[in-house]
Amino acid sequence: MSHSPNNDNIQHLYEGDQSKLYSGVLAHHHDPKSAESKAQVAKIWKITLILSIITIAEVIGGLYLSAYLSKIIINSIFLILTILKSAYIVSVFMHLGDEVKWFRFCVLIPLTLFIWFIIAFLYDGSEWKMFNDTNPARFDYHQTK
Amino acid sequence: MSHTTTATAPKAFGGGRSPFNVSYGKIMMWFFLLSDAFTFSAFLISYGTTRFFSAVWPDANHVFSSFPFMEGGDKPLMFVSLMTFILILSSVTMVLAVHAGHGNDKQGVVKWLLWTIIGGIAFLSCQAWEWTHLNHQGAWWASFQDIHSAKDVYSHFFKPDVLAAATPEQLSQSTNNFFNFFFTITGFHGAHVTSGVIFNILILVNTVNGTYEKRGHYEMVEKVGLYWHFVDLVWVFVFTCFYLL
Repeated sequence: MSHSPNNDNIQHLYEGDQSKLYSGVLAHHHDPKSAESKAQVAKIWKITLILSIITIAEVIGGLYLSAYLSKIIINSIFLILTILKSAYIVSVFMHLGDEVKWFRFCVLIPLTLFIWFIIAFLYDGSEWKMFNDTNPARFDYHQTK
Repeated sequence: MSHTTTATAPKAFGGGRSPFNVSYGKIMMWFFLLSDAFTFSAFLISYGTTRFFSAVWPDANHVFSSFPFMEGGDKPLMFVSLMTFILILSSVTMVLAVHAGHGNDKQGVVKWLLWTIIGGIAFLSCQAWEWTHLNHQGAWWASFQDIHSAKDVYSHFFKPDVLAAATPEQLSQSTNNFFNFFFTITGFHGAHVTSGVIFNILILVNTVNGTYEKRGHYEMVEKVGLYWHFVDLVWVFVFTCFYLL
């Protein structure tokens, strides 16, 4: 098969390289020197800057915030920043934001399992701690000497 | 068969085309990454369960306070921040390689893939140093099991007031658990980085040989790129769970 990469007649591809059919390759191709291409590169560097600033803020927070704020507030800030960072990575770097709606749903909907996953298992851990703290049979563990 | 496949905006599930508008290989990479996300989160959530269960827990600002070639200095979180930056930057060079591939820019793909590989190897080297350093402090899988140890052996890992108040059993159990999880999770992540570097080298060789140029597109760079970004994504969560929370 010899054909140009930008050939829009995709009939012959059914027998050949299937990846060309739906990859958006036909639509994606661009001239590296075009304004659109340069805008995309600029966006990538902008996201890089945002990710770096968030990371620096997290490290500063990890070092100094504990003197001023309660643990639960600091941890909530860390978790929000973490989710923000991962959203930027998935949506821009992994181009999930550019995929069609149905594909985004297929990747994102299974992630709602995490709501149960995290709550159930952390609850289990704290329940065991309460058992250890209050059960007389485990009293020695906490009250040595 | 007609050419209707190229018609714009037909119904998503009307048949005759993929409702996802993504190639098979990319769909499968996404679904693999989804399953891998559950594997990693099972590790991280069980780490959380164990931590919630424990009366005391090592303090990250004490455990991770060393920097290579600056022995004795107290620099909490500095080295791991450097590792995080290296991995974020290698993710950026990867997305630039994918971008160059969209433009069929072979030289660009080669250049950015090389930087990505260098970043990956730099990250792994940092991790090797950190593991070695912790190992010299007595930490490894199944370490700190002796409840009769003097409290001195835990002095690198706890806040002084927590260390003073805790019982030997609590110190032994929590430190043992902490390092089991630390080495397992960062090790599993490091294994992903290692295989990512190998995949990157393979597609670099293919790019240099002109395989993708002949094929007419650089989709393989996109697929390996997805994997590489996922490794960076996991590190974002490992960073939060082990070093910040």
